[in-house]
Amino acid sequence: MNLTSSPSKAGAASRYVFEATGLIKDFDDGQVHALRGVDLQIEDGEFVAIVGPSGSGKTTLLQMLGALDRPSEGTLKYRGESLLDLPDPAAYRAHEIGFVFQAFHLLPTFTAIENVQIPMFEDHKSRAERQDRALELLKAVGLEERVNHYPAKLSGGERQRVAIARSLANSPSVLLADEPTGNLDSESANHVLDLLRSLHADRRMTLILVTHDMSIAACAQRAIQMKDGCAVFDGDPAKLSIHRIA
Amino acid sequence: MTFLDVIIRGLKRRPLRTGLTLLGISVGIAAVVALIGLSRGLVTSWTAGMRQRGTEIVVSNFRGSLTPKPFPAFTRDRIANLPGVAATCTILVDLMGIENAELMIVSGREWGCFAWENLKLVSGRMPNDQNEHAVVLGTNAADILKKKIGDTVQIETEELTVVGIANGGAFVENGSVILPLPLLQQITGNHDQISAIDVRVTPGMNDAGIRHLCDEMNKLIPEGHAEPAGEHIASSEGYRVINAMSWGTSLLAILVGVLGVTNTMLMSVFERKQEIAVLLALGWRPSRIVRMILWESALLGFLGGIIGVLLGIIGVQLLKMAPALRGMLEPDLRTNLMLEAIAIAVFVGVLSGLYPAWRSSRVAPSLALHG
Repeated sequence: MNLTSSPSKAGAASRYVFEATGLIKDFDDGQVHALRGVDLQIEDGEFVAIVGPSGSGKTTLLQMLGALDRPSEGTLKYRGESLLDLPDPAAYRAHEIGFVFQAFHLLPTFTAIENVQIPMFEDHKSRAERQDRALELLKAVGLEERVNHYPAKLSGGERQRVAIARSLANSPSVLLADEPTGNLDSESANHVLDLLRSLHADRRMTLILVTHDMSIAACAQRAIQMKDGCAVFDGDPAKLSIHRIA
Repeated sequence: MTFLDVIIRGLKRRPLRTGLTLLGISVGIAAVVALIGLSRGLVTSWTAGMRQRGTEIVVSNFRGSLTPKPFPAFTRDRIANLPGVAATCTILVDLMGIENAELMIVSGREWGCFAWENLKLVSGRMPNDQNEHAVVLGTNAADILKKKIGDTVQIETEELTVVGIANGGAFVENGSVILPLPLLQQITGNHDQISAIDVRVTPGMNDAGIRHLCDEMNKLIPEGHAEPAGEHIASSEGYRVINAMSWGTSLLAILVGVLGVTNTMLMSVFERKQEIAVLLALGWRPSRIVRMILWESALLGFLGGIIGVLLGIIGVQLLKMAPALRGMLEPDLRTNLMLEAIAIAVFVGVLSGLYPAWRSSRVAPSLALHG
């Protein structure tokens, strides 16, 4: 894998990419508590798996980190700057964060190469630059033969690889992946996981991956286990299973 | 891929719905083109007829009516000798059903005046004198009535011989049945009555001079109203009513188009909620989403406008053949009207997209991580 390396575009005032303190997220006028005071720090270039059962708050946590939603209480910083005071959350999502979704979320009426270009509209690239960049990324994920295929003509694994290429369109420093292998067969899942791991290794990107699959979490450098909106474990993924049993 | 491609794909994802919406807008725009084209055609056709006759000022009484109301012929005597008046011609015009034609322009013209000069005979001759029971048919009128030289035409209870077929150089002139004034006054019972005085001014008089002369005439003739040729149609109450009805009908049709586009775009936004959330998650600003929706609806309007103009032109050609309009007026389908119609369609598109665009800006980006 040989992707153009992209160092963080934001300032490096803090050693942490993300710092969360007392993060609370309530829904339905406080009836539902998705996060109940989460504290965490994630360092630049870490590969972190967030694990937990459905409803444990892991996706909500990912939403907060990606500035897709705001916490009800607590503080959340990105490289030392509060994410809650962002003047332009869209610019943060466009340039600092790459999203990979469980359901891929490719636009069905656009080919693979067009899907990869979608985030670049906010990056002031010319048409030719967008095209070249998308082609480069699709080559990097091994889909140079499928650039003009529509999502319906791609396998699940190929779709997710297109989605990963799309997430890298604006050279983000952080990749947030929500159950990226959740809709894939085991072979495709392994391919995608290998791709994510090599991206993390080659580009030294911060990779935060939400999963409920312990075997995937085991590939990470660090695992955070969520339960009932709280981080109940934060450490070596190898110790995660012992923790679960305990 | 450009942003325009993104917009076009948005419309192509539901081709049937997009097609039906286009049809909805285009019907409204076709109504604008057809009805407004016809009503403006009324002015341009009659103005062209005036120009062909060399008329620069018309004295008439259009109050509350499409056709001018008769007034005494002696009115002419009060203005004929005004400085600047070169020649006058008294005319009685009526719209009448003649034989199989529902509505024809029948124009009785003062014998020997300049209003006969523009008639170029295609066949036959002019009447020998003002007492001959004869008519000259414009070329279109002859076609509509299916008459040739020597045939008779029945106007009211009188049978008149077709002695000539003439090209008057303008649509209205060619669609007219033309006869000497006294004959038409006698047939219609409007003895010593006329409905217009055509006035030629002295050569070289400019627009300001013509308007000044009109003002002078209007001081002398309370029973009529002098206006520069053509303007007397546009300012008549009858034309205003027709124009207002045309716009009213068109706007109703456009309103249906607005509702159609709004519905389509709203459905589109609801269906694409998660897609919009994904675009937001990928870094698109809400303003870009709003622009995307507005451009989609504007493009719908633009395409609907073009289709509507084409439908309108076809519709006008059909309307022209309607018995009530045949030979009476030439629709005014100038580029201006087409551009106005397309501009209205684009405006309609943007207007219809405002609420859906606002709704799209309210989509929560967190929806991207659901499902």
